Amino acid sequence: MSMHRVVVLTLVALVSLAGVPASTASAQGKVVLPITDAKARTAVERTIAQAAAKGLPVQALLAKAMEGVTKQATGSEIQVAVASLAKRLEQAQTLLAPSPSAAEVVSGANALGVGVPAEMLKRIRASWPRERSVAMPLDVLTELTARKVPVEHAVEQITSLMARGATPAQIAGLGASVQSDVAAGLAPDAALEVRARGVMSLLPSPAAQAVGAPRGPSKP
Amino acid sequence: MIRRAAPWLLIHLAAFTFAREVDSQEPSEFRLEAGYAHVRQSSETDETRESVFDAGLFAVFWRRPAATWTFLASGNLTYGADSVAAAQGVAALSIPWSLDDRLRTETGVAGARFALRSAGRGGNANVFARQHFITSNGGAWAGAGVARTSRDGAGSTSAVQDIGVWGRLGFLYGSGSYAWQQSDDWPLLRTAGAPVDPAADRYVLRDLELVLEARGGPNSIAVSWAARRGLSGTTQRVEAVSASGILQLTDRVAFTASAGRQFADPVRGLPQAELFTASLRLSLGRKPLPVMQRSELTSAVVEERPGPGGELVVRVFAADTMHIEVAGDFSQWLPLALEREEGFWVARVRLQPGSYRVAVRVNYGPWRAPRNLARVRDDYGGEAGLVVVP
Repeated sequence: MSMHRVVVLTLVALVSLAGVPASTASAQGKVVLPITDAKARTAVERTIAQAAAKGLPVQALLAKAMEGVTKQATGSEIQVAVASLAKRLEQAQTLLAPSPSAAEVVSGANALGVGVPAEMLKRIRASWPRERSVAMPLDVLTELTARKVPVEHAVEQITSLMARGATPAQIAGLGASVQSDVAAGLAPDAALEVRARGVMSLLPSPAAQAVGAPRGPSKP
Repeated sequence: MIRRAAPWLLIHLAAFTFAREVDSQEPSEFRLEAGYAHVRQSSETDETRESVFDAGLFAVFWRRPAATWTFLASGNLTYGADSVAAAQGVAALSIPWSLDDRLRTETGVAGARFALRSAGRGGNANVFARQHFITSNGGAWAGAGVARTSRDGAGSTSAVQDIGVWGRLGFLYGSGSYAWQQSDDWPLLRTAGAPVDPAADRYVLRDLELVLEARGGPNSIAVSWAARRGLSGTTQRVEAVSASGILQLTDRVAFTASAGRQFADPVRGLPQAELFTASLRLSLGRKPLPVMQRSELTSAVVEERPGPGGELVVRVFAADTMHIEVAGDFSQWLPLALEREEGFWVARVRLQPGSYRVAVRVNYGPWRAPRNLARVRDDYGGEAGLVVVP
């Protein structure tokens, strides 16, 4: 077993098996990242500690740092990458306010990372009640955007599905279907159009939803 | 001697019958190499009993994968200004078996022409076959070869049988082999300074060799230790240590160097020598590096499983001897080795619903996104694939 594996396994074990949230561990300075450049390591640890103090999900930052270590990036590259992700996480946390889950914040940051405009995150958030996680719609949006589907079109289709009561699994299935269509040679934009209609046909119409909707305050 | 090796050859020629049908997705590989060698050999004729010379090295290598076999051809020429020269060529087939994809057969022919101050003028022809058993982290082989050599007008025959094992631990590769050789090429043995029994009609040698190699992407460095002992016809006992390395300079150019002692080789007709070589290797054609480009057959799919989430299945079509790893958010970017499964390299990872970034690398080369996934920049000048688990 290489030293790299030992360090990583120890790191993961310390964070997860001990039942200590990574953020706490980072804030207390207990996590030592296997970055050889001491100056960069200190800077990364500081970034992670600051993120933890803001309530950001630090697991994503640790993963980003570890990705750099595995890919043999320089200390300064890891420092820049982690700081950049921390900034996106903070931005996503604000855009998905008031109380986004850790998964939603990470999904939002990933979406921002592939070039999804900030306003689109707000639109996605607004399409579902606060208690429903928008992590999966954001993940699918990120995937579609990475496949060069125009962001406006992707958001339009996803929010339509959300408004029609599609489940996260149905939305995730949309992404998978588009992926297989693209592999078969269809343009991403056209694949999304076709597949979104397919999912839409399985959902109740807006009129039926209105008729079947409960009247008055819902039961707790 | 030839009768002893004949069953081996028959078995391996029959391997064509059992050749496994696989799609060849790899392009041909063509390499040119040119360099310098400093050689020191014992000599029967020189008064100094030693021949030291500089030489030029030229080599070509061609590898052509096809549907049921891989064809290898290489040739090299060593030429010194004082008329010392040797030319060698080899053509070989490497065939996977349908019975078990861990079995692979190599068989081929080789020849040499030489005009060596130390070991005379002449030529050599030999045939060889080797059966491999290959798993993801190790393997074993057994082989045999027979040869006919002409030296200064006198003919001789030689044979070799060898067995070996190899294994891998991370970036370290190790192998050990045992060879048993017999020959009546007496001049070759005498140039190595070996004591010989004048009454013997042939001599028998036993070779033991251990090799340790470290690989990092296309770069590698190896050291080897070998010991030879005469079992019959000679009481020779000799050891050899050598080292070699490859440093990839650009996409197409690599620097190679080696230094150490090589034993006299009765099957190839080449004398014992101590040498240092340094050369530049130019790779041509569509496959400039011995590492994964974007593998055309790398895929990552999520398969449904009972319960939430699914199973990420990564498949890579690549040669048996490759070392392939996958890493991603799901493993905290800790590389996981793929396992051999029905002709593919495969990794299976159970994932909860969510989005994950995934990358694959071959032989410690660059990390790449599986071809079928959406690709995203990784903040480190590379890329990763994006997979969404419903």
